[in-house]
Amino acid sequence: MSEGHEPEKAEAKDELKAGPFGQFLEEHGIPSRRLPDSCGVETIELDGKHLEAAMKRLRNSHEIALNFLVSVAGVDSPETYDSVYHLWSYSNLNELVVKVRVPKASVPEDRLPLVPSLAPFWPAANWHERETYDLVGIRYVGHPYLRRILNPWDWEGHPLRRDYKQLVDALNDKNQFSMR
Amino acid sequence: MSTETTSLPATGRLKTDEMIINMGPQHPATHGVLRLLVTLDGEFVKHVEPVIGHLHRAQEWQGQNRTWFQYQALIDRVDYLSGMFTSWALCRAAEKIDGTEIPLRAEYMRVMVAEMNRITSHLLWLGTYLIDLGAMFGFPFYPFREREKLLDLLEAISGQRMMFNYIRIGGVQAEAPPGWFARLKAFTEEFPQRVDEYEAIVTQNPIFLKRTKGVGILKKQVAMDYGVTGPSLRASGVPFDLRKVKPYSVYDRLNFEVPVFDGDGDTWDRYMCRIREMRQSNEIIKQCMEQIPGGSSDELREKRKACNSCDKADCPNCGGDLRIMTKKQNAGLRIKAGEGFAAVESPRGTLGCYIISTGGDTAYRIKWRNPSFSNLAVLPVLLLDHPIADIMAIFGSIDVILPDVDR
Repeated sequence: MSEGHEPEKAEAKDELKAGPFGQFLEEHGIPSRRLPDSCGVETIELDGKHLEAAMKRLRNSHEIALNFLVSVAGVDSPETYDSVYHLWSYSNLNELVVKVRVPKASVPEDRLPLVPSLAPFWPAANWHERETYDLVGIRYVGHPYLRRILNPWDWEGHPLRRDYKQLVDALNDKNQFSMR
Repeated sequence: MSTETTSLPATGRLKTDEMIINMGPQHPATHGVLRLLVTLDGEFVKHVEPVIGHLHRAQEWQGQNRTWFQYQALIDRVDYLSGMFTSWALCRAAEKIDGTEIPLRAEYMRVMVAEMNRITSHLLWLGTYLIDLGAMFGFPFYPFREREKLLDLLEAISGQRMMFNYIRIGGVQAEAPPGWFARLKAFTEEFPQRVDEYEAIVTQNPIFLKRTKGVGILKKQVAMDYGVTGPSLRASGVPFDLRKVKPYSVYDRLNFEVPVFDGDGDTWDRYMCRIREMRQSNEIIKQCMEQIPGGSSDELREKRKACNSCDKADCPNCGGDLRIMTKKQNAGLRIKAGEGFAAVESPRGTLGCYIISTGGDTAYRIKWRNPSFSNLAVLPVLLLDHPIADIMAIFGSIDVILPDVDR
């Protein structure tokens, strides 16, 4: 069932021109890299160390006002662990997708990828980051209370990782296609 | 002589200590299974830690391991009081990535069933909320009377009472059965008087006012910081409703208002916001029935007798805007590679779905942005310094549904 589901690697390595939000960040000295748009919404990649500064700029700027953190999603991509932030605005129509990517090669065995947390200055991120930590296994550095939220507190492993295996297959362990 | 048990501290007051009380997860007023660890100082709440996840069914994991066709039937269960909206969010995200065009008649059908579903959800909230407040005189039977009528109609069109699986990727599942539009019309005409009935009992009731006015105040800035959406946000004075702000489907062709309150919203404002929303939803349904291309299902059926329901794309009675489905519904349903985020305005707020597809028959990753999840996160702020008796009054007023929180 899971054959042929690896996302295609980006073939075109051409640098895309920075969009309006990328230019805004560049004016304030924050480097970003533009990714292909996701369904017409500007998508940028940020370095983890610039994340906090960039988010504060985007949120507090009066004309951009990306003050609605819709969701924080964790994605286990083939080569990277992605933390995806969807930003909207309560007062205008701006939309932006921010991605922080941690290459899998840079993460040591038995360690989790590290991404700075937004929760200390943006409460909306608190539960979403806990959920991403729980399900995808991204450790948000600086989070005030990074505990599992949907799974029990003593759960082992991160279920939305591609290599996650359930310890006990309760429903049917004879059928190899049943639950894995 | 031991005086330890009777001695008073130097201040002359009794020595007090904070106390931790566990509420739930089986508490009858928690609308499912929510556990609250409440730290109390006397009767007043000093800290709350919501413990969620008791209903976690791994819906995101299921999305990666079920085909699209299986998953769109499963996803109504996320928010079982408003299943139309979860299907709609999934379908909108998938259609956005896929570039699927939806026929106009299907869009109107979607808006109609979704607004009916919004009314049923608000009616259930109204009935149970009065019980949360201790109104044990049988009030819930009033809203449930209308809710059952709407659920009968939804059952007639989709085959299921609550888990509809009606909105599908590419359109809607089926045409309305004979007489359905007439029954719905009769309902929309009597419904405003029914809302007047509820309001006559509840809105200016002195006990209700004492329990709700000035209780659980949600400041505008706090609501925005926590990502609160839906009626809870609009009662706090932020005019953010996706149907108006980023109109999707055919909402830009419909004439309706979004109730917004001035200043910081309390529990009563949130109640009032939902009551007004129900009236607006009723108006939307009326307008849809007038505007829908092809008219009612009975008229359309009459017209289709001429061409013997040929189902050809260029037929003036069957094709074009009058179709209800553009994608084949079978196990081979596939979505093009790409990623996208789409949201709809559910009764509880912004319900979003983020999909990464690789062109296969299952998703690579599905992330749900559930309004209840974000709205519940603000609960510790709302409860602070309130007496323990108000916990359920405030918790009920943000209209959280636990399967939607836990997925």
